[in-house]
Amino acid sequence: MQLCCNLRKALLSVIILVHGTSLLSGQPPCNLIISGKVLDETGKPLPGATIWIKELNLGLVSTAEGTYSFTQLCPGTYSLEFKFLGFETQQRSVDLVKSEWVDIRLLTTNEILEEVVISDHREVVSKGNNFSTLSAKQLDEVKGRSLGETLQGVTGVNTIQTGPAIFKPVIHGVHSQRILILNNGIRQEGQQWGAEHAPEIDPFIATNLVVIKDAGAIKYGTDAIGGVVVVTPAELPADQPIGGDFHLIGNSNGRAGIVSGLLEGSILKSKGWGWRVQGTSKTSGDSHAADYNLSNTGFRELNYSASTGYHKENKGFEIFYSHFNTTIGILRGASTNSTEDLENAFEREPPQYTEDFTYAIDQPRQEVSHDLVKLNGHIRNGKNLFNLQYGFQYNNREEYDVRRGSLKEVPALGYKLFTQTLDFEWETTLRSGRSRSRGINGMWQDNNKIDGTQTIPFIPNFTNYSGGLFWIEKISTPRWDWDFGARYDYRYYEVAGFDFKNELYRSTLSFGNASAAAGATFKLNRTSSLTSNLGSTWRPPNVAELYSLGTHQSAAAIEYGLLLDETTNEVLDLNEVDFKLEQALKWVNTYRMESGPWQVELSGYLNYIYNYIYLKPRGVTQNTRGVFPYFRYSQTNASFLGADFMAHYTLTTALTVKTKISLLRAADETQEDYLIFIPSNRAEVSFRYQLDKVGSWKDFYVDLTGNYVARQNRAPRVIPIEDIIDAKEMGVDILAQDPRNFDFLPPPEAYFLLGANLGISKPIHNSLLHFRISIQNALNESYREYTNRMRYYADDLGRNVTIALKYSF
Amino acid sequence: MKKLFLGLFLVGFTSFLGGCGDDPEPENIPELITKVTLTFTPTGGSPFVVTATDPDGEGSQDLQIDGPITLVKGTPYTLAIELINGLYDPGEDGYNITEEVRSEGEEHQFFFSWSDGSFSVPTGTGNIGSNGVVNYQDEDESGLPIGLTTEWTTATTPVSGKSFRIVLKHQPGIKSSTSTSADGESDLDITFGLTIN
Repeated sequence: MQLCCNLRKALLSVIILVHGTSLLSGQPPCNLIISGKVLDETGKPLPGATIWIKELNLGLVSTAEGTYSFTQLCPGTYSLEFKFLGFETQQRSVDLVKSEWVDIRLLTTNEILEEVVISDHREVVSKGNNFSTLSAKQLDEVKGRSLGETLQGVTGVNTIQTGPAIFKPVIHGVHSQRILILNNGIRQEGQQWGAEHAPEIDPFIATNLVVIKDAGAIKYGTDAIGGVVVVTPAELPADQPIGGDFHLIGNSNGRAGIVSGLLEGSILKSKGWGWRVQGTSKTSGDSHAADYNLSNTGFRELNYSASTGYHKENKGFEIFYSHFNTTIGILRGASTNSTEDLENAFEREPPQYTEDFTYAIDQPRQEVSHDLVKLNGHIRNGKNLFNLQYGFQYNNREEYDVRRGSLKEVPALGYKLFTQTLDFEWETTLRSGRSRSRGINGMWQDNNKIDGTQTIPFIPNFTNYSGGLFWIEKISTPRWDWDFGARYDYRYYEVAGFDFKNELYRSTLSFGNASAAAGATFKLNRTSSLTSNLGSTWRPPNVAELYSLGTHQSAAAIEYGLLLDETTNEVLDLNEVDFKLEQALKWVNTYRMESGPWQVELSGYLNYIYNYIYLKPRGVTQNTRGVFPYFRYSQTNASFLGADFMAHYTLTTALTVKTKISLLRAADETQEDYLIFIPSNRAEVSFRYQLDKVGSWKDFYVDLTGNYVARQNRAPRVIPIEDIIDAKEMGVDILAQDPRNFDFLPPPEAYFLLGANLGISKPIHNSLLHFRISIQNALNESYREYTNRMRYYADDLGRNVTIALKYSF
Repeated sequence: MKKLFLGLFLVGFTSFLGGCGDDPEPENIPELITKVTLTFTPTGGSPFVVTATDPDGEGSQDLQIDGPITLVKGTPYTLAIELINGLYDPGEDGYNITEEVRSEGEEHQFFFSWSDGSFSVPTGTGNIGSNGVVNYQDEDESGLPIGLTTEWTTATTPVSGKSFRIVLKHQPGIKSSTSTSADGESDLDITFGLTIN
């Protein structure tokens, strides 16, 4: 108790110190240059394009070679606008500390393959990272989907799914606690340990989504073993009249309606002050498989956010608030109480309790809300840029199960999680081509069960104090971009929970370790580059991995944490068990080429995770409800070896072909076994036809996409429930004899889905009306996806037609 | 500006200096069944009692099933089932779950199965996974059986090494005259040994 209070004081003094440093001042020289080249999509120079610096009201026209150059600039943040008839206008925000060379590729297409990603004056990715971006345009074409579902558009990203509304992103085969999600610069902190707990983020707030596929994205702290998902809203307008957009989307499957709106502007009298408000509401009824209704799979969502901020050359400040609230139904037929029930559920198609379509959401269901307040500011002082950011998050999760009598209205699992984070970063531009960044991250977190659930809590209450320090060096030469980084993190937990006898236990734990990463991009020639990144990172174990006790929603299996004694199930101290920190070594290499009609990206990666924590089947137990397999969180060494390939070929200016392939093989190296729920190999081909102008309409596109998903042949052995029960009756515990991974059912067969999209825009004065119609699973295929946890009970979604209307002004 | 900035940070960190956590409140666990008692009472005779006890709830230790159920041949018995939640003390609310199941009879039904030839009434092997008859002696508000009380007449020839299984199903909204042991969720599923002397 004393330690926790001392830690708070220590952190507070850090804050005061940080404020002290930011008061430094100096006079910057105004002799900087922004220059570069304007190119078309095939890399040819574009003469005659106009380039504007908005803040200075300064314009230029590109030369015959496509070059441009602004001189005598003061350090600061500038918005550059690139325009050319017949091409999409592009904006770039440039943080000018040293003279910059900014090449821009204007596209006639809707595709923006690579963009510089800058969030609130913090560089999100560096040139030594392997990353993929979903641009605003790409996001527009899938608006209305959840964050996890949207991210599936990135090669190498899949999802662990629980029915039609719960998608957890999986990067290169790993998910949950092994992925970091940055929501508007803040580490998203929810109950991420559950495979059926989706990130609580409204993708409508994002102007782009970036997936960093490296381990040890050093700036953001521990846990980025698989990578980082960065959700970035647009910069606040600094000097603009009121504008915004409004979305109206309908889905045939689920008879869902989505309304979303955004309004933004600047307070004109005081230049530099901008504001934005945004909100989204979604309502969906039961979804439909190809042949039957999926009862109790409706969901509702209501999200809103507001932000305001002030930006001048040398300083900026922003405050952001967002609220996310959802109620999600879980397929009624997936609710089981025993292995016998589960066996019945496997055999039934359609699932038990299948009824007619309804918007009503009954048990089992999840009710989740998430609030985020973010304050951040930056001050530039000559070569130095100071960023300070504070975040407060409140996550409330309640899971309702099918229970007896009045307990139905009481959540079977409920937690309130409060998180405060404080991040400070100090960036310095050293001599030409070199920069340095260092910083401190602090986090305080408090998890409390919601009283009155009338169940033994699945995870204990805890308080978590975490702190970290990092240092990053970047070196740029004409052909090479290097970056090196290291960090140290410490975490301290105070835990109070209840054991199987419903008796209180208390514990304290601490973990500390270092991470390091090195990355480089080498420009092979004018059209291609090679990026290689090697990172070693670690993560402190999640409280759920240490202390879990009980049966999970709709999983007829009992889970025990690492710190529960193997025979007595009493809670042990960390030093009484053989625990080692989970550490990953991830090596990612990407080759990029853009030449003539070709754009190619090929990545290969190996992620070797030492002391990988996973649920290992350990035995079969019997209680009054019947026979249950039980799993203990255990450790092994795991490897994830894979490749992502993307190619884009422009046949004519109007017709393009795009291919994406992702391959992955994951293994339990210690047991020489397969891991469960690893995404299978998959490929996508799409043909796209687009026209810039069709009469008074513009931006017409139509595409046809085929998705092939292979069967997961690298899956653990199958043990039917019947075998487990029969053996137990004979006094044999199959799992205790052979604790290799297993699955109750074999992986589903391969499937092929066809989809199509059509979009067109109509300019009306200064506004734009955009129509879109999409069809998913056009052939109404009956299929099951290996990584969808509902595959045991029901088919995946049948055909869906989406009609979307967007009005921008 | 800078003062505003600092002010907001200080507001944000006020909670940081708040009190450290107290012990969490323990939950009542009303749904757990840790002990099941089957009482076979012959007409006019002394009852035979058998229990199944769960030593550790969600823990990994196996259910301890006493028995076998030992009955006298050719004798009519009334079977009463009692459900206990051992996390409560006897006398406390929540200790005896039997009454709760009875009052929510419209959502619950017991199903039984046994080795062929164990009983002369009812005949067959029961209503778990087959369509046999069970002599239910209680009913819910809709007149459908619950199964806390049932009647049995043992076979006239002794048997040993047989089994007797009871399953309690929770069938909210789906219990009907045609619902079976494959409907709903299991609240209880125990198999006892059975001997008839």
